[in-house]
Amino acid sequence: MATQNTNPGLVEVEKTSPEVSGMGHRMKRKEDSRFLQGRGNYVDDVNLPHMAYGHMVRSPYAHARIKSINTDAAKKLPGVLAIITGEDLAKANLAWMPTLYFDKQMVLATGKVLFQAQEVAFVVAEDRYIAADAAELVEVEYEELPVLVDPYKATDPSSPILREDREEKSNHIFHWEVGDKTATDKAFENAAVKSKVHAISQRCHPAPLETCGCVADYNKATDRFNIYLTSQAPHAHRTLFALVAGLPEQNIRVISPDIGGGFGNKVPIYPGYVCAVVASLTLGVPVKWIETRSENLQSTGFARDYHMTAELAADKGGKIKAMRVKTLADHGAFNAAAQPTKFPAGLFSVCTGSYDYPAAFCEVDGVYTNKAPGGIAYRCSFRITEAAYLIERAVDVLALDLKMDPAELRRKNFIRPEKFPYATPLGWTYDSGNYEGALNKALEMVGYKELRKEQEEKRKKGEMMGIGISSFTEAVGAGPAHTFDIAGIKMFDSAEIRIHPTGKAICRMGTKSQGQGHETTYAQIVAQELGIPAKDVIIEEGDTDTAPYGLGTYASRSTPTSGAATALAARKIRDKAKKIAAFLLEASEEDLEWEPGKFFVKGAPGKAKTIQEIAFAAYTNIPPGLEAGLEAINYYDPPNLTFPFGTYISVVDIDKGTGEVKVRKFVAVDDCGNVINPMIVEGQIHGGLTEGLAIAFMQQIDYDENGNVSGGTFMDYLVPTAVETPHWDTGLTCTPSPHHPFGAKGVGESPNVGSPAAFVNSVVDALSHLGVKHIDMPITPWKVWNILKEKGVTG
Amino acid sequence: MAVTIEKTFRVDEPADKVWAILSDPKKVALCVPGAQITEQVDDKTYKGAIKVKVGPSVTDFKGEVQVVRLDGQAHEIEILGKGQDVRGKGSASMKMTGKLRTVDGGTEVVSTSELNVVGILAQMGARVITEVSNIMFEQFVNNFKKQLQSPDGISAQAAKSISGVGLAFSALKASFSRHDDKSDSSGDPNSGSGTK
Amino acid sequence: MAKKELIQVKVNGKDREVAADSRLLLVHFIREQLGFTGTHVGCDTSNCGACTVILNGKSVKSCTVFAVQADGGEIMTVEGLPSNGSLHPLQEGFKEEHGLQCGFCTPGMLMSSYALLQKNPKPSEGEIRWGISGNLCRCTGYQNIVKAVQFASKKMAQGETK
Repeated sequence: MATQNTNPGLVEVEKTSPEVSGMGHRMKRKEDSRFLQGRGNYVDDVNLPHMAYGHMVRSPYAHARIKSINTDAAKKLPGVLAIITGEDLAKANLAWMPTLYFDKQMVLATGKVLFQAQEVAFVVAEDRYIAADAAELVEVEYEELPVLVDPYKATDPSSPILREDREEKSNHIFHWEVGDKTATDKAFENAAVKSKVHAISQRCHPAPLETCGCVADYNKATDRFNIYLTSQAPHAHRTLFALVAGLPEQNIRVISPDIGGGFGNKVPIYPGYVCAVVASLTLGVPVKWIETRSENLQSTGFARDYHMTAELAADKGGKIKAMRVKTLADHGAFNAAAQPTKFPAGLFSVCTGSYDYPAAFCEVDGVYTNKAPGGIAYRCSFRITEAAYLIERAVDVLALDLKMDPAELRRKNFIRPEKFPYATPLGWTYDSGNYEGALNKALEMVGYKELRKEQEEKRKKGEMMGIGISSFTEAVGAGPAHTFDIAGIKMFDSAEIRIHPTGKAICRMGTKSQGQGHETTYAQIVAQELGIPAKDVIIEEGDTDTAPYGLGTYASRSTPTSGAATALAARKIRDKAKKIAAFLLEASEEDLEWEPGKFFVKGAPGKAKTIQEIAFAAYTNIPPGLEAGLEAINYYDPPNLTFPFGTYISVVDIDKGTGEVKVRKFVAVDDCGNVINPMIVEGQIHGGLTEGLAIAFMQQIDYDENGNVSGGTFMDYLVPTAVETPHWDTGLTCTPSPHHPFGAKGVGESPNVGSPAAFVNSVVDALSHLGVKHIDMPITPWKVWNILKEKGVTG
Repeated sequence: MAVTIEKTFRVDEPADKVWAILSDPKKVALCVPGAQITEQVDDKTYKGAIKVKVGPSVTDFKGEVQVVRLDGQAHEIEILGKGQDVRGKGSASMKMTGKLRTVDGGTEVVSTSELNVVGILAQMGARVITEVSNIMFEQFVNNFKKQLQSPDGISAQAAKSISGVGLAFSALKASFSRHDDKSDSSGDPNSGSGTK
Repeated sequence: MAKKELIQVKVNGKDREVAADSRLLLVHFIREQLGFTGTHVGCDTSNCGACTVILNGKSVKSCTVFAVQADGGEIMTVEGLPSNGSLHPLQEGFKEEHGLQCGFCTPGMLMSSYALLQKNPKPSEGEIRWGISGNLCRCTGYQNIVKAVQFASKKMAQGETK
């Protein structure tokens, strides 16, 4: 799969030999060996002597007052060690904890419960079966209260006020706006064409295959607290535990071992973690808490639940003049959104998309409801999927209104390559892009012209097929310290590299892989920069005692931040290596040239020192005036986000009789700048597209009028199997990021960001001749069948 | 979760005999599996309990039954029941109307129930609740017919609650047997198509 | 209080005898009593397949089997995949074709693929997808897993490890 550098101004990364296996090589993964042999080390694999197990008692009601909790019968069960309630935690000021976004949430319910499955009591016992038995014996008396599940009714005077703990007695959390309202309204007034769409990004859940959990291990003898944690951000969690629980930070060691998928679900701190920590502190034994799948789906960080309206103003020729957006954000019972502090709606304001126009205005209102708290960024940069979905749907609706081909409408409005860095009307500066390049490649790969002809023929016969395009731009790599912090901690990241005397290396980063392949890709960066074979480089992440401080892995930030730090740390090492080489070769530094793996004297390639020889010398023949050793650390503050982009095209056929949608073909062209490992990038794209497929066609977490959750187990919350998942055709273009040390952008989340719109656009396209302009996700056969029935199409 | 269940069944007895049982909540409760009336508060209100086991979930509802309307002429009764699980697993409320119609050689009993369940049971979804209700109703009809034949025979002993495992298994079996389609497609999670 | 039973079972070629509660699930028995943590728990409704092992020659979801049901029988977990000292062709295939990312579904996926290839050594792509449809993966989108199984099928046909 060849990449083409479509930006001639930027130098391509020169490929190293396969032995060195630097950037661009399809290196097989180093981490695979242990996973393939069942020797991974996930949190539930941790077994410590005297370990006890925790089990959560949860509320069946969405909104109720707690009248009493009776733990007598439960405590009497042999093997039960402790039962913690909110009242117990309140004594240590831990019944509530701060969320990642200026709110607080109950660790264990005090006074009342606010969503079905909310944590009410924590049982600790000698084994997990006894803990579950005891949890059944805990008696809680509730007084039911009226329930609020419709976010549109949250601010109605007739709706119950959910948060009695807040000073302002209202279900309205925040109002946020950005852009130029006056200019936007004016553009709409004068617009020849106005189109509008109301699109819901439905509540769904990342559902990584490994649920959340921890082993909290307080050692009374050493006063040290080891917490094995399913955490995408171990350092941030360590600091938060220190601040919230009042534990000395030097005594806390958070270890994120192997993580079975994160997708944003493992960014927040959950009540189960806090309860396990408290239990271990009190009992002096390790306490393991691993949630069940139902608990994971019903109480941990959900995603989306954005109810959005977008309007586009355009001239008759199809040139967009302005965008206006209004969004209602349902945050559940507590605002536990995991996003940078300056952005209550995350990076949603990239909703202007890949298009060039001068005016936009966007407002978002967040509300409370009796649902699980959140929302987190599910395999996207904060709220980016919602934004990309909205603009790509809006553009397709505009195309329908204009009776214009959706590919041509996009092409007409794309930001042109020479306009980068491009300042969007809502305040972002896109670093680089070549949107038309990606579009053209995707159109060619899918055979667009032939498909449109086929569609015309099929329509005459009453058969339905659709083609949907999504040309998205993402904003990843959060982020520059002047704008980005999570709970106050700036979003830099780090890499520390140490070269051993025999020329091998160990590197530690502040990020934390949950399957992204960092043990391989970071090694490839070091190999690229220093010429040390990637197989000789060990990568470690996740142990806060040893890894340098970082903000973790989510929002596709690892390559843009720690990847950059790795390159810069390696370059510091190269600078020192040059000095050592000069000393060894008895030459001056100016006379030395570098090729991956060695310094040689200009014009005398035989006079050279390899990096391995230099490393050995760093310990055995140190130049006077220089410190021994060969290592460096870099904390990288990115100057900007990076903006990967792409065009996805979905081709679907609809069965008239059942309403079933079959994805016949899907082409994904991504541009993430310079690529470290194309094999890993492809794998990421396949996975993200599958998640997008699930969101578009299969998934929803819904609440009935009593607050009962549906979609709370894998019986109803559907994850695609190999049977539903189509074949994915992938391609790349390459437009490097001008501000990144090796021109890379990050890509893990692009497929989840760009694909829902492509899927929905293709289904709407299949039915547009019947007058259909929009269908909300998930697009189930039931929905499609009802539309077909309504339109008089018989199967 | 609100579920509406309409059931009609026929007995070979005259309407007056049927009405004698149907109009008396204490007698009706004897026919409902797992139910009992524990106290009569006034002429319209009773306290009662019902134990429902669905798979691993045991719910002991305790609550109140109220006779909202009783029409001896037209043979119509409307009852409101409300209860909460004693351990805090959830609650349920039900509005039931029962009507008698004389037919050839007997009486037809027509009942409409609106059942609203909150909590753990509700999470299993409408399909399980409907199936559980169907099974309980079948038992109810059997018990009702028995009581009709020997009104004094059925004593104050409450009808046994259905075994939890049996109930869950039958409910799930019935739920899945309606989906013969082997190919698993993206079913609407809210309308209850089974997955593997 | 659950009663203890003595379970005698052959696991990955070794005879084992362990006492366990009669209600203990096979997956917990394997992970805790027997010490093989390669088999994983991914759900609570028997949907995900992360717990798949081979019991008496058939692939089963060990979260839905009681440990006592394995008494007198034979279990193979991912740790016991026949390897002739290196890797089983399936394990090799998953590595060559990048059929894993976070690794959590991988043991179950390997065992289901193993069972599939025992029954059908030359499956078509459709048959592979059906064969692993009881195993969920959130990371790979299955495309490379299919390639991995095809790799193994080819290698095993060449007369390598069974």
